[in-house]
Formats: sequence, structure tokens, C-alpha cells
Amino acid sequence: MVLDITSAGARWKIRRDGEPKVTGRLKYLTDMSFPQMLYGTVLRSEHPHAKIESIDTKEAEELPGVASVITYRDVPGLNGFGIVIQDQPVLCEDKVRYVGDAVAAVAAETKEIAQKAISLIKVKYTPLQPVTDPEEALRDTTIKLHKDGNLLHQAAFQKGERQIEKSFKDCAFIVEEIYHTPRQMHAYMETEGGVAVPGSDGGITVYAPTQHGFKDQLQLSRILSIPPEKIRIISSPIGGSFGGKDELNIQPYITILALKTKRPVKIHQSRRVSIKAGLKRHPMKIYMKTGTDTGGKLLAHQVKIFADTGAYATLGPAVLDFAVEHSAGPYRIENVDVKGYSIYTNNGVAGEFRGFGGNQITFALETQIERLAEKIGISSTEFRMKNLRQTEDPGPVEQPIVPTDGAKAVLTELIKSPILQKKTDLNAGMDWKLKGRGYSITMHGGGLGYGRPDPSGARLSLNEEGKLEVSFGFEECGQGLISTIDMIMTETFNCDTNDVEITIGDTAKVPHSGSSTASRATNMVWLGVNKLKAPFIEKVLAGAEKQTNVSSEKLSLGKNGIWIYEEEKEEKLLLTYKELASSMDELPSVTTSYHFPTTPQSIDGGHFLYTFAGVAVEVEVDLLTGRVAVTKMDHVISAGPVVNPMGYLGQIEGGANMGLGFTLMEDAAMENGRYMTENLDTYLIPTILDIPKETKVFAIEDLVSGDTYGPRGVGEIGTVAVAPAIVSAIHDATGMWLNKLPIQADTILKAVEQKILSR
Amino acid sequence: MDANKLIEKTTSFKVNGKQIELTLPPTYRLVDILRDSLSLTGTKVACEVGRCGACSVIMNGKLVNSCLIMAYQMEDAEIFTIESLSEERLHPIQEAFLQAGALQCGYCTPGMIIALKSLLDEEEQPSKEDVLTALSGNLCRCTGYEGILRAVDLLTKKRHETIGEGKE
Repeated sequence: MVLDITSAGARWKIRRDGEPKVTGRLKYLTDMSFPQMLYGTVLRSEHPHAKIESIDTKEAEELPGVASVITYRDVPGLNGFGIVIQDQPVLCEDKVRYVGDAVAAVAAETKEIAQKAISLIKVKYTPLQPVTDPEEALRDTTIKLHKDGNLLHQAAFQKGERQIEKSFKDCAFIVEEIYHTPRQMHAYMETEGGVAVPGSDGGITVYAPTQHGFKDQLQLSRILSIPPEKIRIISSPIGGSFGGKDELNIQPYITILALKTKRPVKIHQSRRVSIKAGLKRHPMKIYMKTGTDTGGKLLAHQVKIFADTGAYATLGPAVLDFAVEHSAGPYRIENVDVKGYSIYTNNGVAGEFRGFGGNQITFALETQIERLAEKIGISSTEFRMKNLRQTEDPGPVEQPIVPTDGAKAVLTELIKSPILQKKTDLNAGMDWKLKGRGYSITMHGGGLGYGRPDPSGARLSLNEEGKLEVSFGFEECGQGLISTIDMIMTETFNCDTNDVEITIGDTAKVPHSGSSTASRATNMVWLGVNKLKAPFIEKVLAGAEKQTNVSSEKLSLGKNGIWIYEEEKEEKLLLTYKELASSMDELPSVTTSYHFPTTPQSIDGGHFLYTFAGVAVEVEVDLLTGRVAVTKMDHVISAGPVVNPMGYLGQIEGGANMGLGFTLMEDAAMENGRYMTENLDTYLIPTILDIPKETKVFAIEDLVSGDTYGPRGVGEIGTVAVAPAIVSAIHDATGMWLNKLPIQADTILKAVEQKILSR
Repeated sequence: MDANKLIEKTTSFKVNGKQIELTLPPTYRLVDILRDSLSLTGTKVACEVGRCGACSVIMNGKLVNSCLIMAYQMEDAEIFTIESLSEERLHPIQEAFLQAGALQCGYCTPGMIIALKSLLDEEEQPSKEDVLTALSGNLCRCTGYEGILRAVDLLTKKRHETIGEGKE
């Protein structure tokens, strides 16, 4: 089904949070202010790598209007944070490891005073040589950035009877290449910020966007040394995140300052600071060697991944595991040997980012597949079909997974795209521009994977106002989760949108549901509501029976209240939810906790549920400027039933253009550990003029018969396969293969020049 | 310099039809005046260098980035922010954004709507080229812009119908 307004029909529903957003009435957490509020600022490092000799805050403290200046001495508890490994100092004590490292923070009456105070803090540094090349960082002679050395994590996967080198000897065709991917920036429009408001009981309320309120609560509890119950996190709505606000950012500073000054403290980072201090996508260098027999059967695949995780761990290990897992993608290869290294450097911190390591490895793998097909002399579609996974095949690291024909379904549908039909000569009448077309496919795991706690929870209640109140610990990052919950609720209970109240994003009110991450929330909402459906209906109808003396068997939940069904009589509304709620002594409420479905085999990080996607593109390469424009893009997505068509489409379209930026424009380049870009005037993300003139999204909703796992998330999949599709289309247009993203105009011009000269 | 003793000056201007008088440093930015001094937080702040358009407002009939306007430039100015569009009911642009799914996180949305309003105020039937050019100063990281283009389509279709009806 081509997904658009027309095909979605009545399910094209206006977002519940839409009106407050288009009117500007919605208060984002960074829009909030409180009486007596102070403004905070953080002093970031001057150096990518240096020893701190001394920090003198005296002059800053004496500046009128300054309420508090804090350094490492003022961190009440653990001076460290990180979702898994708490190796990032809240405030550095003896060493800075990247230019975003926090050394001190200030709270003052105005932003200007806070800024002035920061400039009065004297930090004496002894600069150290920055370590900026991940491969060099692994050498014994290189200075160690952390006590255990510069290797944060390594991961490996081997498959096959023969040693990999021996299996290459059997190959008739081998392609061996090195791929490079950029340090992409999340570039959410709302930079990190929030307000911390101290309570009278020593507790604190934090209004700051984050993808996992409870994880913030736990981390702040360690840092502030107060029990988690005393910390309330209000974490939605979020002005964009894409993974970038999953880690703590300004929260430690506003909370320490607020507790010290006993006044609300707000920090809203400038874009410049956000770029310096914020997370990025892991740049990866991927060595890939792949071989086939004479007929094009994949025999050997050797991969080495070097991921630059920057100064601190954050989710570097999991991102690497994901890349290792997806190294062979949806293909069955006899012998596989993958090794991955996540390495500390003095570059900016890399962490979680939409696609989670899948984008980098898919670019390498799919380009490799195209190159091999060319070398063998068969069509890349025939080559893929020959090696594609089948419905009952195990997952990419040989783990048991839910049976899926997604790969084949996507490929079969994608090659029907009008973009790929080579009936016309694209380049007739073109002088200095060349058109080309190409495609790619991918397989992407949902949830956190084996061995990682991935629990979720949900609560469903009839509240005093007569609303069916559903509560989750998930966040509205913009993806449309509120609408998704709304639609799952109204369709499950046959009720009206007005009957549903949705509570999310507030640790004081919601159950733990885990992070809004890893394309998991839609799936977890569906599972939660389905688990609660029967017990909730039973409780509600028992109450209705008591009130009306009509057997609950004849009653059901519907619009506005409880409806009666009697044979040969029309349905009618018997009792409103409001009437029912006011008649009950105890309001019905049911809760559940459950886990994201995981593979039974103990392979760390191995996934169980996968989505599949394919992208076909048409590009136009300008031989005079070296610029590439993507003129058409078609997507085929296999993720089970579409819950929220508007949200689904938005996620794919938005993800796709983020992928386009990754391929053609975006790189937060660094030199000697310093960012070469400071703002959105030099770090360019796609504008409305850069996107394809035509984009279509085709949703495959069928799952293998008997599948009980429901709709899969689509938050990430739209970004993953875009880069190799564009690279393949550029090859179709020009004959050149590109291994380094983003694709630079001068790379194309150089290749064109060489071609002309060699004529 | 003592940060407490910044030179301040009284500036009067109109925001959404309301006369305002504020005593502020002349270099205080319009975006901060709107958000911090007047609590009009519908105008967003995102890049502060005039690149992203999140802080777009209409000043003296022209589209401006409010991060680039300082208090000393605002004497007697007339400013309209996103809040002015829906004082009674939703503006047709806002309706179209809702219908088309032209927003996700929504942080760029007010600026995007203001930029579109500024274009439509000047040109009733803009070409596709005009629309693309007019919105190219507004960055959106969520929608991929397709939703926004759907909203423009809905809107121009509607305006076309209305104008057609008016002629009959």
C-alpha cells in the first residue's frame, strides 16, 4: 500500500498535540520559567586534552548577581554519569578529555551575569597531546585516556567451518574496500535545556527533555546523593532528540545549582555549546572484504570496524555490537568473520543516534554488494535474491528470530519502483548533468537486544473524570507517540479520542516503560494495551453490572461509556464512563510489566524482532559543480501493521532526509580534537530545497502467519539504507564508486577530471 | 565592566497589536525580549545566527529572524508573532499544518508558519519555486519537509477554491 492521506482514510488523524504546537501555546520544558529563577551556564574546556592544574572561582563568586559557582568539589555524590558506564565527569577534577568537558558552572540573576561570571573563572591547564585517530589510539605507545586504556569495547562474530582466509581461497570474485562515515550531528531544533525546581523537603523536580525519565532519575540520584523517590523528572514534550537527549546533558548542573541556591535554575544551551558538548553519530572506518563463487554465491565476508566513541563511553559498546550484528545484514554468507572496536579518543563524544550503528555498516555492506554484482557481471537484484535470507533462517548472528519474510517482500516490491524501470534513457538531452538510479535494502533490529535489560510497563485506569487513563513511561520526542497511543486505545476499546487520557513523561505519574529508543515504543504500547485489555474490561464491566443490574456479558466498552447489546435490539449507550466512575467505590486500575521480546540464544545484543526497508533513488550529478541532487526517492518498509499512518509516514520521510544529509552534506569535522563547525551556518542539514521532488512510501503490513508480536517500530529504519542507494545511483550515473561519506563535490570533480584526462 | 551596570534604554514598540514599553540594554535581542520579558515562548530559539528560522517573526511587514534584531532597532516597530495568528481561531495555515501532518516535534513549526504567512501576505498565489525559496530559511529536522509541502498543497488548493468562489 502506498501510504498517503488518501490511502490512510479515516486513520489519518490530527495529532492530539498538534494544535498547541501550531499555535505556539505548547510549553516545551525549555520554555518554562519560575518565580525567583536563576540562569545557569557551564564552563566548558578550552582544550581537547589537558591536565587541570587549578581552578580559581573567587572572582566569579564575588561578581554581584552571582548566586553560586560550582566545581567538582560541589558534586554531592558520584562525579560521573553515563547510561551504562558512568565514566563522564559531571565536573572535571584533574583532566579534560574533550572540548565539551564541563569544568565549572554558575547560577546568576541574569544570563548576562552568568556569562560574565564564567569568563572570570581561572582554570590553569597543562595541554596534552590529543589522541584523535582511533587506530593510533590502540597502539601501546599512545597515551591512555582512561585507566583501562583506549579500547572501550570490542565485539566479534564468527561463522563457518573454514578459517576466513582459507574460504577466500575458494572465491572467484573478491571485493576489498575501506569505508568511512561521518560524525553526524543530531541537530534537533531544540537545544538541550531545562529547569530544576528545588522542593521544600530536600527533593527536586527537573523539567528537562530526555528519552528516559527514570534513567535520569537514577543517575541524578547517584550524583546528588538523594534517594530517587525525591527526584521527579518531567521529560516530555521534546523538541527533537533522535537519540541525542537520551544521556544526561544539563540536568546535573541545574540540579546541583538549584539544591545549593534553593532557587529554580534554568539552563538552555546555545547552539554553539550544544555542538561542542553534545553527542554525535559514531564515525566509523570499516574494512570489508567479501567474496563469492563463480555463480555469485556469497562465501566469505570479513569485516573490521573501528568506531570513534570520543572521550566517554555513553552507548558506544551497544552501538558497536549493533554494527557487528548487522554486518552481514539480510544475507546468508557461509563464512563470516567480524571484529569491531569502539575506541576512546579526544574527539567529541559519540553516542546513540537514530539507526544505532546500522547506518554505517549498511552503507558499507550494500555498496559492497553492488560492487560485487558488477564484478561478477550479474544484476545486483539477481545477486541479492541468490543470497537473501529466507523466512525461517536465523538472524544475522545465527540467533533464533521471529520468522520473517521481510527481506524478500521488500526486495520484490522495491524493484517494481518506477524509479528503477530502465525503459528510458535518463540522460537524453543532458549536457553537464548525469542522472542515475540505484537502490539498497536493510534489516534492522528493534529493542535493545539479548543481555540488556529491556523491560516495559503500562497502567490502565478509569479515572475520576470518567476517562480511560493510560500511562506509560515513554516520551513524545515528536515522533507522534501520543497519537499512536491514542489510536491503539480507541481501536482496542472502540471508544472515542475524548474518552482517552494519556499520561506520559512524568516519573511521579507513570510506570517504568524503559527508554523511548531503539524503535521500541510503538511495539511496547501495543503489547501493553493488549495485555491489559482483558483484565481492564472485566473490572470495568463488573462495575457496570453492579450499577445497572445488566449482566456484564451483554455489556461492552464503546464511545462515551458502556453499551448494551441485546439480540434484535439496537446497541445503546447504557452508562457513561463518568457515571460509572462516580458510582464506583474503587476505580478500576490494572498494571502490567513485561519485557521486549528477546532471542532465546545467549548472543549479546542479538535481536529478535526486525524491520526491513528498501530505498530506491534517482540522482542528478552536476559535472560542473560536483553536486549531487536526489530527485526521486521511493521507500518500501516492512514493519507489520501501520498503527498511525501520519506518524509512520513522517518517521520515514524525516528519517530519509536525515539519511540524505548523512550521505551528501553532514560532517561535524574535527581537527586536533576541535570542531571545525560551530553552528548551523557551517554544519549544513538538508533544507526544503535539498530534498527529492518526489517521495513515496510503500508499507508492507503483512507479517508471517501466526506472528503475535504486533506492529514494529519505524523510528529508525527510514534513515538506514539511504546512503548506499545514493552511492549506487551515483555509480549508475558516472561509473564511479564512492567509499567516503559525506560525498564531497571535489571528490566527484576530481573523478570527472581524471576521466576526461584519460580520454 | 561591571555586568550589573549595563546601559539601559527605554524602547517602545507594538507586539501583536499591544503597545509595549521596556527598559533594556539596547543590545538585548528581540528573541529574548519575546521569550523572557514578554513570555511569548511560541517564538523559538535554536541557532541564534539567523540560519534556522525557528525565531521568525514579522516586523514592520517583513519576515525577520528575531535573533538578529536588537532592542535599539525596535523603536516604534510593529511585531507579529505566532501567538497573533490564532487569537480567535486557527489560521488556515495552522489548519493545513494539522491536516497534512506538517509537524512532528513542533519546535520549528511556529517559525515555519510565520515564514509561510509572510509569503502569502505578499503573494496570494505563489509558485512552487516561491514556496521552496521562502521556506528554505527554516530548518526542520523531523518531518523531512514532505509534510510541510503537503500542507502548502492543501492550503493553495483551498485558497484557489476560495478565490474561485469569490469570483463567481
